[in-house]
Amino acid sequence: MEFHELLKASGPILLDGGMGSMLQAKGLALGEYPELAALEHPDWLREIHQAYVEAGSQIIYANTFGANREKLSRTGKTAAEVVSASVALAREAAGGRALVALDLGPIGQLLEPTGILKFEEAVDIFKEMVLAGAAAGADLAVIETMTDLQEVRAALLAVKENSSLPVIATMSYEERGRTFLGCDPASAALTLEGMGADAVGVNCSLGPREMPPLVEELTRWTTLPIAIKPNAGLPDPGGAGYDITAEEFAQSMADLADLGVKLYGGCCGTTPEYIARMKAALAGRTIRDIPRKVPAAVCSGSCTVPIDRVRVIGERINPTGKKAMKEALRRGDVDYMLNQALEQTGAGADILDVNVGLPEIDEAEMMVRVVKAIQGITDAPLQLDSTDPKVLEGALRVYCGKAIVNSVNGDEESLTAILPLVKKYGAAVVGLTLDRNGIPKSTEERMVIARRILDKALSYGIRREDVYIDCLTLTVSAEQAGASQTLEALRRVHAELGLKTVLGVSNISFGLPARPLVNQNFLTMAMTCGLDLPIINPNLESMMAAVRSYHLLMNIDRDARDFIAAYGDAKVSTTITAGNAVPAPAEAGVRDLGKLVEAGLKNEAGQATRLLLAEREPMDIVDNVLIPALDRVGADFETGRVFLPQLIQSAGAAQAAFEVIREKLSGQPGRETDKGAIVLATVKGDIHDIGKNIVKVLLENYGYTVIDLGKDVDPAAVAEAARKHKAGLVGLSALMTTTLKSMEETIALLHREQVPCKTVVGGAVLTPEYAAQIGADFYAKDAKESVDVARRVFGTT
Amino acid sequence: MPITLTQLNIDEILRYMGCPPDKADPSTRALAEDCAGQVLRTVTPRWTYRIFDLGLEEKGVRMGGLLLTGEDLKAHLEGCGRAALFCATLGAGADALIRRAESGDMARALALDCAAAAAVEEVCDRIELELQAMFPGCFFPFRYSPGYGDLPLTLQRDLLTLLDAPRRVGLTASASNILLPRKSVTAILGIAQSPIERKNRSCLGCPAHGGCQYRKSGGHCGIS
Repeated sequence: MEFHELLKASGPILLDGGMGSMLQAKGLALGEYPELAALEHPDWLREIHQAYVEAGSQIIYANTFGANREKLSRTGKTAAEVVSASVALAREAAGGRALVALDLGPIGQLLEPTGILKFEEAVDIFKEMVLAGAAAGADLAVIETMTDLQEVRAALLAVKENSSLPVIATMSYEERGRTFLGCDPASAALTLEGMGADAVGVNCSLGPREMPPLVEELTRWTTLPIAIKPNAGLPDPGGAGYDITAEEFAQSMADLADLGVKLYGGCCGTTPEYIARMKAALAGRTIRDIPRKVPAAVCSGSCTVPIDRVRVIGERINPTGKKAMKEALRRGDVDYMLNQALEQTGAGADILDVNVGLPEIDEAEMMVRVVKAIQGITDAPLQLDSTDPKVLEGALRVYCGKAIVNSVNGDEESLTAILPLVKKYGAAVVGLTLDRNGIPKSTEERMVIARRILDKALSYGIRREDVYIDCLTLTVSAEQAGASQTLEALRRVHAELGLKTVLGVSNISFGLPARPLVNQNFLTMAMTCGLDLPIINPNLESMMAAVRSYHLLMNIDRDARDFIAAYGDAKVSTTITAGNAVPAPAEAGVRDLGKLVEAGLKNEAGQATRLLLAEREPMDIVDNVLIPALDRVGADFETGRVFLPQLIQSAGAAQAAFEVIREKLSGQPGRETDKGAIVLATVKGDIHDIGKNIVKVLLENYGYTVIDLGKDVDPAAVAEAARKHKAGLVGLSALMTTTLKSMEETIALLHREQVPCKTVVGGAVLTPEYAAQIGADFYAKDAKESVDVARRVFGTT
Repeated sequence: MPITLTQLNIDEILRYMGCPPDKADPSTRALAEDCAGQVLRTVTPRWTYRIFDLGLEEKGVRMGGLLLTGEDLKAHLEGCGRAALFCATLGAGADALIRRAESGDMARALALDCAAAAAVEEVCDRIELELQAMFPGCFFPFRYSPGYGDLPLTLQRDLLTLLDAPRRVGLTASASNILLPRKSVTAILGIAQSPIERKNRSCLGCPAHGGCQYRKSGGHCGIS
């Protein structure tokens, strides 16, 4: 019988119970690898599998939970041989009486951003297991005991791309309803059903009594069968042992039938007796088959945003018309995008649009970098914005959660290139109501395109709830009749097709005075016509005020809670500034910029710089105000009059000043602030980068162009960057005795390949002697010294 | 069993930040206090432990089938017939908090990093008290971690395996033996039936190690 037939039958499906505890009971010694049981203790393993089959398990898990190449690295065995042997043995033990699942457990190394394992490497590790497991005759794959949704995604992709096995995916939650890494059942369910899992659920973590709230949450967010495999109660904190008996376990599990759970098993501490009793307890129960309807929603790995009210999509991460962002993209300065992300979520954006398209950069590579970096610092879901399928696929692969793809249009070419990606990665998609003939003028023509997009999406198996229609905003100064057509189309898509709608609002006022006024009113009108997802600048208070007011007036913001939270004790400006924001007038007696930098006052330093630029040349300010101020702070730091926190705060203030100067200089060729390029990296294997980041800020303030390669950087990548950017200096950081070797290897490679650069090294465990011994040109004991080194290398200016 | 932190030692955070507490200006102290508050609100400390009998061997100490190599730990555990092996972690939330600050405000990132370091130390102190309470009438040297003296960092993975730490508390070690999530500790607390000589804690295990003003001037902070 196949897994899908088993699912169709009306009763419960029984899985097996614990494996590790059973092996220990057979005599597996502390320090032995349980993964090798198929090779070293086949009799034990056979007996355990058979005992579960006899207890009633209809699906048994082969002993491949930890049989990945990472965990096996010290055993001398390959994943392929261990997986093959384990699956073969389970099949033999099952003897056709039960299905055999290839079991994929956590790799044992954390993925980025908490850890250093790359997503594609994780996919590859699972791929090796999937190929061997499928070849050995596994009937399905289970992904279990996961705490990182990104790791589940890697495993699920590996199964989908390398086999036709059905998949059960279960994660391990704590009592507060989240995994160790912060994933919640809603995000897991939305993401995994989207990517094609066949059942989702919970395993390990807790006992059966703690399951109901988790199961209830899952049923709200997935239509898939639910699998539950809890421990034998809660663990004893200091050792082995769990707190409930087989009979108690069986009764609590049977109660889950009322919640509609389909697959039942046990995890740590459960034995064949638990399964047998559970079978008996479930025998009289019918599984309640509750029809489930999952609302439109998107999510990251830890935050679900249902589209059940107006949700704001922040538009700021997009280079169109933004000089500073273009500059940042050319420099590869991801921090710029991160600050934009934090600013927008701080202002109230629910979702962030991410567009990094610029002709002169590698959009695909930059998109992946930016998506990973943004997901490392915020849990807001993202809207991936590009017309290039290659860029979108790269972003969709690394995006953890359910994203929005922005966008497809009504053209066959666009639909067939992009919709398969939307389906494969379980995203939602924005459909633009235009095609090769352009934007139709009439509402009816837009409706025709919207229907075409919807039908095509449905034909690919994309849920109706995941298709969002963009009726397109036309600039009202060019086409005054356009706005009412857009609003009418919105209303009809909402009413006739029942689809969610998205709209970029700000374009409406292009070329007009008092743009914020027009934008705010258009936004309100659009929301009244059924707009769900306005793409706006959330940093403009007038726009967020419109959204909050709408929620208040439509009785969506119950008891005006959000409204009062936002405005309860604030003075709201009721006037709207016409035109672009005017810089604040010069305050009487603005303090000397140098003093502000010394005092570490960020905002004030930025403002003072703006004023100072009216009378002095940019480079004059850098050389004669900023750098001398930093020097004074540096000297005080060396003599112990100020300490590291103040040094960094001064650097932060100088950075704010520098941003303003850079803005002024951008677009003026030959007016670069550049005093030389420096490549910085935390070496391979090491992930302590706070020291390196402090160095980076300081060096940038002295006018050096810093290429920051981040942490855990391959020696080859350092050499490549040094050559590519013609860096005069390479700075390497390591904080562990165990990673000093990588530092040595990186320097050796730079020497061997004769990269024309000097090297400076730093980090807590380094000494000047060791630095010399590994061939570094300079040792810097702190951030201040790294500036001194740079001056020696590039000359003082 | 669950450990909930309610306050952190601000002077200790300042010391980790490279700023002698008596010389901290008001804004630096305020930053440290603010970040301490944020860390306390964000992190979920988790820990687990196991008790083992110890066997002294020529090359080190045997614990749970694992040989802990080196002379220093052996000397340190003199007189201890058993030991508690434990690990503690602030979880991925602490790392995310620091990462978020790093993109825009390094001074804050530094303060958060140091507040988290102080928090994990505080968690370990509390664990020690809990463990000591389980063995009334016994004596305990200070807790000892891989990387102290000649106890190799390469033991991290094996220690975590002994504790089933990845599954129980979500703690792992990277290929280069860095504990992940970052703000985490593994430690061995010796348990002796009769009084033992009290020693000062080694600087090597201290989060302030890199920038410590006392150590730079050849001294010791006096914290044991």
